[in-house]
Amino acid sequence: MDGHQRNLYLYEALNARVLGVSMDDVTTNKYFAQSLWLEFPILSNTLPWMGKAYGAYSDKPPFLKDGTTQWFGRRTVIIDKKGIVRYIRDDSPNFQEILTFLLKLEEEFKGK
Amino acid sequence: MIARTMSGWIAGILLLAGAGLFQEGCATMGEKPKPALVATDKGTVAYEDKYEFKAPIGWKVLREVSGGDFEFGFLKFEKGDFPSQTTFVYDPEPFGSSQDLDTRAKQYCTRFLWNSGILAEVKEQDQVQLWGHPAIMLHLEGENPNRNEKAKSVVYLVKKGDRIISFVITQWRPMNVTFAPEPFEQFEAFVQSFKFLKKTFYEEMEEKIKKLKG
Repeated sequence: MDGHQRNLYLYEALNARVLGVSMDDVTTNKYFAQSLWLEFPILSNTLPWMGKAYGAYSDKPPFLKDGTTQWFGRRTVIIDKKGIVRYIRDDSPNFQEILTFLLKLEEEFKGK
Repeated sequence: MIARTMSGWIAGILLLAGAGLFQEGCATMGEKPKPALVATDKGTVAYEDKYEFKAPIGWKVLREVSGGDFEFGFLKFEKGDFPSQTTFVYDPEPFGSSQDLDTRAKQYCTRFLWNSGILAEVKEQDQVQLWGHPAIMLHLEGENPNRNEKAKSVVYLVKKGDRIISFVITQWRPMNVTFAPEPFEQFEAFVQSFKFLKKTFYEEMEEKIKKLKG
């Protein structure tokens, strides 16, 4: 997450915005964001319809080490201006790949 | 629904993660690694055609293959009981996010060696210049009596354009053994001689964005 915070100025230059989504409650997310000095929103989705919609939700083994049986896997999704999902990657974000993809989208948008 | 809230923006990035999930990806199988270091005729080495520097003799090369805490570095096991070793690395993405050096140094220190159980204390902090760029040099030391080990580190945080990069050396010793100065001297030679042979990914990205915006 601090990697996305480091790249915020580039995302903004590419007309992109970042949202984090977690199954944790609002208070937990607030402290998490503070601990990493995050300036972008972290959404609390305890129900968790967003994780289901974007394919990140899991309620099957292997469960988390702390015994949590329902959780979101790490997934990065890029949605374009028309609401179309254009990019999905699991595990740790590849920041250079994300920026390169956003540049491609911006070029596409500007017709270059 | 998310896209509608981002009307006017070209794209949104959505990150979904459960608490505590920080998995790393796997290295691609079957790829033959390129030689890490190539000697130049100037008494230095080039690393992947990207950097040139004075390399320490007889140290093992550390290469990051899956994206993590550093890009590359060096490791030396030394005489004595465990832990007697020194590592130093180049990390273009030091922890934290502030583009201000002082603030970044504070952010960085909140996590430095935090997995080791060492309580690293900043002994000295100096404003310096590195190859003409403003930088902060941190001297840190700490102990973990429960594991009978201690560590001494020097960290350079360097402001390069809009970003902050770092060089870090950490020496580990048993509690009753003194630190050795030589590895720190080799680290200093490495850092002072460090040159970028080409623009970084982020410098190129900034140029492309600038060009796109006209």
